[in-house]
Amino acid sequence: MSTTSPVRTTAVSAEGLWKAYGMGEAQVVALRDVSVQFESGAFTAIMGPSGSGKSTLMHCLAGLDTTDRGTVHIGDTAVTGLNDKALTKLRRDKIGFIFQQFNLLPTLTAEENITLPAAIAGAKADPAWLDQIIKTLNLADRLSHKPTELSGGQQQRVACARALATRPEVVFADEPTGNLDTRSGTEVLRFLRTSVDDFGQTIVMVTHDPSAAAYADRVVFLADGQIVEDMSEPTADRVIDKMKHFEELVAAAQGEHA
Amino acid sequence: MLRATLKGMASRKARLVLTSLAVVLGTMFVAAAMILTATMEKSVTGVIADAFTDVDAVVSSADDPAAAQGNTPSATLIPADVLETVAGVDGVEAADGDVTGQVNAIGDDGKLVGAFAPTIGFNWTDADTGFNEIREGRGPEADNEVIVSARFVSDAGLGLGDTVTAYSYTADRAEYEIVGVFGLSGDRDSLAGETQMGFTTTAAQRLLTQGEDAYMAIYVDGDVSTDAIAEAVGPDYRVRTGEEASEEAAQGFAVVADIMGYIFLGFGLVAVFVSVFLIINTFTIIVAQRQRELALLRAIGAARGQVVGSVLAEAVVIGVIASIVGLGLGVLLGWGLSQLVSSTVMGGLPVQLQVPATALGALAVGIGVTVLSAIIPAVKASGVPPVAAMRDAVNPPKPLRGITIAGIAVTAVGGVLVALGLTDNLGDLGLGGFLTGVGIAFVGITLLTPILSRPLVALLGSVMSWTFEGRLGKLNAGRNPRRTAITASALMIAVALVTGIATLVSSFKATTEELTDQNLESDLIVMGQQGANIPTFSRETLAEIKALPDAAAVGDLYGELFGAEVDDEPTTLYASEDLATSLAVFSGTVAEGSVDDLPDDGLAVNESAAEDRGLALGDTVQVAFADNTTAQLEIAAILDDSQLTDGWWVAPAQIEHFTVPKPMQAYIQVAEGADIAAVEDEVDSILADEPEVNVTNNAEFVEQQTGQLDVLLASVQILLALAIIIAIIGVVNTLVLSVLERTRELGLLRAVGMTRGQARRMITVESVIICLFGAVLGIAVGIGLGWTVQRALEEEGLTSFALPWALIVSYLVAAVAVGLLAAIAPAARAAKLNVLSAIAYE
Repeated sequence: MSTTSPVRTTAVSAEGLWKAYGMGEAQVVALRDVSVQFESGAFTAIMGPSGSGKSTLMHCLAGLDTTDRGTVHIGDTAVTGLNDKALTKLRRDKIGFIFQQFNLLPTLTAEENITLPAAIAGAKADPAWLDQIIKTLNLADRLSHKPTELSGGQQQRVACARALATRPEVVFADEPTGNLDTRSGTEVLRFLRTSVDDFGQTIVMVTHDPSAAAYADRVVFLADGQIVEDMSEPTADRVIDKMKHFEELVAAAQGEHA
Repeated sequence: MLRATLKGMASRKARLVLTSLAVVLGTMFVAAAMILTATMEKSVTGVIADAFTDVDAVVSSADDPAAAQGNTPSATLIPADVLETVAGVDGVEAADGDVTGQVNAIGDDGKLVGAFAPTIGFNWTDADTGFNEIREGRGPEADNEVIVSARFVSDAGLGLGDTVTAYSYTADRAEYEIVGVFGLSGDRDSLAGETQMGFTTTAAQRLLTQGEDAYMAIYVDGDVSTDAIAEAVGPDYRVRTGEEASEEAAQGFAVVADIMGYIFLGFGLVAVFVSVFLIINTFTIIVAQRQRELALLRAIGAARGQVVGSVLAEAVVIGVIASIVGLGLGVLLGWGLSQLVSSTVMGGLPVQLQVPATALGALAVGIGVTVLSAIIPAVKASGVPPVAAMRDAVNPPKPLRGITIAGIAVTAVGGVLVALGLTDNLGDLGLGGFLTGVGIAFVGITLLTPILSRPLVALLGSVMSWTFEGRLGKLNAGRNPRRTAITASALMIAVALVTGIATLVSSFKATTEELTDQNLESDLIVMGQQGANIPTFSRETLAEIKALPDAAAVGDLYGELFGAEVDDEPTTLYASEDLATSLAVFSGTVAEGSVDDLPDDGLAVNESAAEDRGLALGDTVQVAFADNTTAQLEIAAILDDSQLTDGWWVAPAQIEHFTVPKPMQAYIQVAEGADIAAVEDEVDSILADEPEVNVTNNAEFVEQQTGQLDVLLASVQILLALAIIIAIIGVVNTLVLSVLERTRELGLLRAVGMTRGQARRMITVESVIICLFGAVLGIAVGIGLGWTVQRALEEEGLTSFALPWALIVSYLVAAVAVGLLAAIAPAARAAKLNVLSAIAYE
């Protein structure tokens, strides 16, 4: 494989994922036989109503949660079946995380937060790469600040920088703009877009905001634990439109598996 | 509102258990102390109460009621004719003269029987058979026969038919045949660990009254009033009913239990004091964690007072439950301690468990401390703005200025009190003022710990932050200076107390060593360990030692440690067979007059002692000896002040008036060129027949002098271990709560790749730093405390200051160990956190 090749490889893939919570009557099936691939260098959004299983899917893909059946691969690594130690190492070296909130350690400065995964690994982050991210995120004059001295948008940009600092195979973002005002949210989304376009980063983002999803290359719709739609080149309008007809999609999905 | 509180508590069981533990431990020890005191008092009283129940009246000398108990050698004897007078009083059926006092007996192993509990000699009369029960043989009929207590048999290794050697301070050795063994009522072998020997009255008088036909007390049987007897014997004698005598005797014994009770109470209160920190901390953390809940309550209309009430209600519930549990455990502990004290110190005294009403005071202490400790966090909680319910509250650490200023002020007040107490400016309140000052200074320093924690935690942490997780641990430890400080303070107090005492002990050792090195010209010392009796040896033995060819000079020391008076003031007297030589051995010098051939009516005294009483060379003083003789003595020499020779020295001719007219110590200066070890062996063989004393070289002497202090130090350390345990629980508590509080942080760290081991080490480093901080602070404060006291005692002879380095290092090592130990559970908890739920944790 050559870096110039237009052929995209698969960064993350799931095959026949099943996940249920609880037992007996109270059992809730969160994922029903979900199979999905995420190409490297692409920005994919996962959408769906509350309880659709979109967060569960992301957690299973990221090795944060175990699956009942099926397999997950990140790059060449089979995530399923790894022990805690291997999973930890996988998260540290191959995955970047951006959570909705509480992304930063309050005791560390912005810069230390950005290099946190490298520090945990006992390694040193690539300074040129760091410079580039920091510059893109416009964080240069905030590096020595503690999280409490940063605005919500700045905090989330620091989180983005941290997620990218180790050049992970994939960045998982869980509602990254959920806690931000529109302007800050837009900044974060633009950066994610840029990192895909300019740095070839792979991003999988869970969101319920159609305008956020519009920044992605592709939107995967989840309902009732199943993928019900896979949309390329989304726009906000198309996403909204799709969601308006969501009940039909769900009904169709249920009909299919009934 | 109460319902909400209780439901909230039910959902935080683990936290409650940890908080309660501190209250439980504190209450437990306070209660145990009170129960120990009451139980021992009751048990002792129970035993002693039997002592004179069969007796209708007790006649003793009016001068000295203590003599009736045989506790101190007394000159105030009752002559035989008084016994006859009493016997002649109408209604008196029987009057028995009692001769009781301390004797020495040599056991099967050639050593003194009962090193730490006295051997009591008395005259065995028929009256004794009520309280004592003959188990074997019979009472003594001839003056060379003796009946011994069962405890004597087990301690001495001698039994019926054996011959035992006994003597006293005033009587030479004589052999007695054991013709009987008796036990005490209630099938006991001993009253309180002592051994007993019952002689004929004549034999007892030979041992205890220098052969005089006199008694210490007279026990009367019969239907007769005490007034009638009192009238007959006159005002020189005191007449009590048997009950009154029992009560007084019991009080004397109960003092021992009281002292032990006070000691335990003291340590119990230290424990309570330490648990205050723990409770404050826990409630502060609980409130911080409940912030959203409390804000929600405020938002839906709860008044500030209701929020305070809600937190205090929690404190009351914890206080009540924990105090009751603590009281229950305290009863068990008190019973156990009583058993222990009884079996070790009191010779198997049967324990009658007694739970005094005051033990309920422990309940009040437990509840009060819990509620009071919770007030500050509760009031803070009420300040939570309702809007905090809506947002993710950020709690920036509060500025430390207020608490620091308060700390400086309080420390200064304590310091001034300590200084005044030390410089005798508080008069009679000196000791109380000093102790209060120390207490206040402790509180002040505790208030200063938060500000001290910043540089110290950073410093201690930098040692440990060679790994990234270590660095995170250090940052976490420094995160909330108040919390870290309070947690460490608990440890600080315990460590400060032991370090302070250890510093005093090491200073005392250094002082003794210095004195020995610089002032003692002798190479070998003959003396015994002070136990239940005053160790002495015979004059003949002293003469033999003096006659050794390799003994260049031998200093000797006689002492009157009881009851002598100089110009009506109680004074300890010393004497030496050859004062000039003895002074030379002790490096003592004469300022005025001469000690060569001190005349029989001559006296030597050191300068400042003479000055204190306005006496000068040539003045005459009246000396009243313990044997009721008096003498006019003239000051023939004034000695320069020197610690080893300070005191009042009388001529050798007066030694016969001493309570113990035997040499107590001898200091041998070995001739130049002679082998000290060889001379030591020679002296040792001379001492073969002297069970009370042995010979040591100077190094061993220092060791012997200070050995008991090590025991004291060890006991203090054991007792303070309790406070340390509470402090450890405090550390565990703080860590567990911190882990809870930082659940999402831990989740984040684990999500971005921190291994379980790293998480564990991060918590462990935080724990070790907190413990080290407490230990370092405690050591510093303890050294300060020890130094202050040493300065105060400098004039009393504690001239050197020395640090207990080995102990200090071991405390630091222990602090690290404690830190590791305290971190086990919280670290495991942090490592086990489920990453997903930790991230989602609110």
